[in-house]
Amino acid sequence: MGFPLLSVIIFTPVVGAAVLMFLRGDDAMRWTALSFTILDLALCIAMLVGFDTTTHAMQFTETRSWVPALGINYALGIDGISALFVFLTALLGSICVLASWVAIDRKVKEFMICLLFMQALMLGVFCALDLFLFYVFWEAMLIPMYLIIGVWGGEGRVYAAIKFFLYTLAGSLLFLIGVVVLYFYGGRTFDILALTEQDLPFRIQSWLFFAFLIAFAVKVPMVPLHTWLPDAHVQAPTAGSIILAGVLLKMGAYGFLRFSLPMLPEASMYYSTLMLALSVLAIVYGGLLALAQDDLKKLVAYSSISHMGFVTLGIFALNLRGLEGGILQMFNHGVTTGALFLFVGLIYERTHTRSIADYGGLMKVAPVYTTFLALFTLSSMALPGTNSFVGELLVLSGGFAANMVAGSAAVLGALLGAAYLLGMYGKIALGPAGVGARLTMSDVNAREMAAILPLAVFVLWVGLYPKPFLNVIDASVKHLLTHVHSRGSGP
Amino acid sequence: MTAAALFQSALASLPEIVVITGACILLILGQFVRRGQEHLLVWASVAIVLIAALATLMLAGEVRPAYTGMFITDRFAVFFKFVFYLATVLTFLLSRKYADIEGIGSSEYYVLLLFALSGMMIMASATDLLSIYVGLELMVICTYVLTGFLRLERRSNEAALKYVILGAVSTGIFLYGVSLVYGLTGTTHLDGMAAAVTGDPLDPGLLLAVVFIVAGLVFKVGAVPFHMWLPDVYEGAPTTITAFMSVGPKAAGFAVILRVFLNPLVAASDVWIIVAVIAVVTTALGSFVALVQDNFKRLLAYSSIAHAGFAIFGVAAGGADGIASVMLYLLIYAIMNLGIFGAVIMMRNGDFSGEVIEDYAGFAKSHPGLALLMLLYLFSLAGIPPTAGFFAKFYVLVALVEHGFVILAIIAVLLSAVAAYFYIRIVMVIYMREPKRAFAPALTPLVGATLAVTAAGTIGIGLFPSWFLKLAQDSVLGG
Repeated sequence: MGFPLLSVIIFTPVVGAAVLMFLRGDDAMRWTALSFTILDLALCIAMLVGFDTTTHAMQFTETRSWVPALGINYALGIDGISALFVFLTALLGSICVLASWVAIDRKVKEFMICLLFMQALMLGVFCALDLFLFYVFWEAMLIPMYLIIGVWGGEGRVYAAIKFFLYTLAGSLLFLIGVVVLYFYGGRTFDILALTEQDLPFRIQSWLFFAFLIAFAVKVPMVPLHTWLPDAHVQAPTAGSIILAGVLLKMGAYGFLRFSLPMLPEASMYYSTLMLALSVLAIVYGGLLALAQDDLKKLVAYSSISHMGFVTLGIFALNLRGLEGGILQMFNHGVTTGALFLFVGLIYERTHTRSIADYGGLMKVAPVYTTFLALFTLSSMALPGTNSFVGELLVLSGGFAANMVAGSAAVLGALLGAAYLLGMYGKIALGPAGVGARLTMSDVNAREMAAILPLAVFVLWVGLYPKPFLNVIDASVKHLLTHVHSRGSGP
Repeated sequence: MTAAALFQSALASLPEIVVITGACILLILGQFVRRGQEHLLVWASVAIVLIAALATLMLAGEVRPAYTGMFITDRFAVFFKFVFYLATVLTFLLSRKYADIEGIGSSEYYVLLLFALSGMMIMASATDLLSIYVGLELMVICTYVLTGFLRLERRSNEAALKYVILGAVSTGIFLYGVSLVYGLTGTTHLDGMAAAVTGDPLDPGLLLAVVFIVAGLVFKVGAVPFHMWLPDVYEGAPTTITAFMSVGPKAAGFAVILRVFLNPLVAASDVWIIVAVIAVVTTALGSFVALVQDNFKRLLAYSSIAHAGFAIFGVAAGGADGIASVMLYLLIYAIMNLGIFGAVIMMRNGDFSGEVIEDYAGFAKSHPGLALLMLLYLFSLAGIPPTAGFFAKFYVLVALVEHGFVILAIIAVLLSAVAAYFYIRIVMVIYMREPKRAFAPALTPLVGATLAVTAAGTIGIGLFPSWFLKLAQDSVLGG
């Protein structure tokens, strides 16, 4: 065991939060939080540089005994799939601080502490190799997120915060039962890697699959467990929305990848058609709902449901293109939708309205803003040359290979996406100036640019040259796929 | 009894002797304490408990049966005694300022708490239905008086009266069960009872006796259907006594339940089904009724019903893991519940009662540190990691699944999701409302110490549960 890099990555934000407790002055809070998130990002980049893409094995592993009586360890490690999300989390972390710079003007200290704790816990989720540890990180996230939505959110924040809390808690508790059952059937261990090597009877796998499904479907969220999401997104402050869309929604899909597929391969294959159907339902239903929205933030929130449908579609296509596309799409959705929420936040800070009808002709007033908005809108639509194109193409081709009907329906969903996104952009940026545009609307400033630019870079980088990103996940995905197919054929 | 046996017996019950003698001395010397010198009473009481704790620690090494099988000192009893010491000492620390504000100057308050403590200790060590009864009555009679200690308040009087009447009925039921057992088996000794029923199909009379005994005990922990007294009594009693009753006597009740229930007499019968049903109904009732409470003390009363239900899930699981899970649960519950009660007691200052949840609106704005502590206790009570409350629940679930009660485990977690709602509703009031009035919490050093100890326990056991889990597992009955 060498240098505990992953522990350092996880606990750097915690140290930052501790430092904040001794500081005074709002600006000091902002700068300190930013420094620690950037430091964390730098550590993550160092981790990626040292990451060996040729193997599917867990890297940077650490193991320490935690509760020996129950075989619980403090075990960390990452493979290609987690590496990508560790990086995404750290990237969005500093962007969240920038996005809250002026938007959060009261209790700045507490907010930044919540944000830093949130980041540490999310990183922990992606690095944990012990189920108990994973659950502790997974569930502890509820506390800072509940506070972020409930204390710093909009008008209906209390309702949204409680709804978010209860939905996720109820789902997670079923997952907890699943974990305990898995512990007893899987040879009394919480070691994730050891559990993937177990051959559980199909009956147990089925039960566990549905217990996990409910927990993960709440997080993704999949229709019909999605109703907490629009409320939470609309009420959360910008940084909260970015975290929700960028990372939290990924955890459900990550759960499928880390637990459902490898530990319950037979059940995963057996119920894959059901999952494809649910994914398509989310894609189309989310798209239709987005089409009907006038509130900008709601529109992006519902589009998230639709986009995450593509992710689960890719995962449960259970072929190489589908899986790689689904995982890449998770990353892309984090970047693109994170950016879109950032843009909604920017416009809301200036005009205090989110109604699309209030805007129009922003192109003239804020050309830089609308140009970048165009880039991310196109990316969200999956136009060639942007990141989502690569991901969506892979998902669709995987989806068609798995199930013709599901693939075709998903294409319909993609069309819907073009409709509501283009409509939204047209009404906001083009046309005659609306109420919002007549209000004081300044263009983006340097600080906001600093938050936007990295995201724009990733949109184009993945769009034009996705190879490095696919390389990171490739070995792990191939291994996962052979694992599922070799163990899961036929109940 | 020979002199040597008597000496051995006295040695085994040394902690009880220390507490009772200390309480008697304090009863006399307390009359000489002048007004304004009440802190002497606190320190004297704490000293008595600490001496008893030392004596307990000395005796912890081996199993010592005493008084011809009426009493035993084993690790199980020692574990529970330490929970009682913790609860009592923290109650003493919380009481000082509160007693001043409420005008409780008399030394009897502390003496009665010490006598209640000795009753609980006897319950933990009792191995005979009669010694259980002695401990039980010693404990509850003291708590009857303490409940009515606010003589000028109607609520307090009413609560005490209600408690006395219902408590007497439950004692009667218990005694009736004991007399049936004696009539049928010729013994009241737990092991003797077990020996009397081996093999044959269970005598229906014995089953009836067991049901009566169970009913009497279940009353003491406030489980459904014998819970009706609890919210009123908790609300009416002085808050410090509510805090004490919610953890100390409750843990003592569980100590007896575990001893009686693990008896082959019970294991052989179908009582397990009853236990499982009681667990489900109790947790459900506590969780759902708490949802609509506006009074903080009533809410905590229902929360304590729900927690008792959750602990009974551990009893239903049975086996060494089940017992250990109940013990760990009670320890953790004692710590976090005394923490939240400490926060409520601290709010009582001047004309501010801190009993209505709405009183806490915007508390986070004026006292961020104290609000954070309350947040910690509330999330722990709700069972969210990384707090101790999560591990307590987790281990009960492990025990349930281990014994094949997966459905019970699912019911338990879903009900705890319901319970989470009313805890986070308080967090919401504290953090997300605008303050209506200025707060002046009575944060004395003693209250601060209590809060520090409980907070350290809540976080510490949550992050490093290993040592406490080992302790509970090693202290399991017969282990």
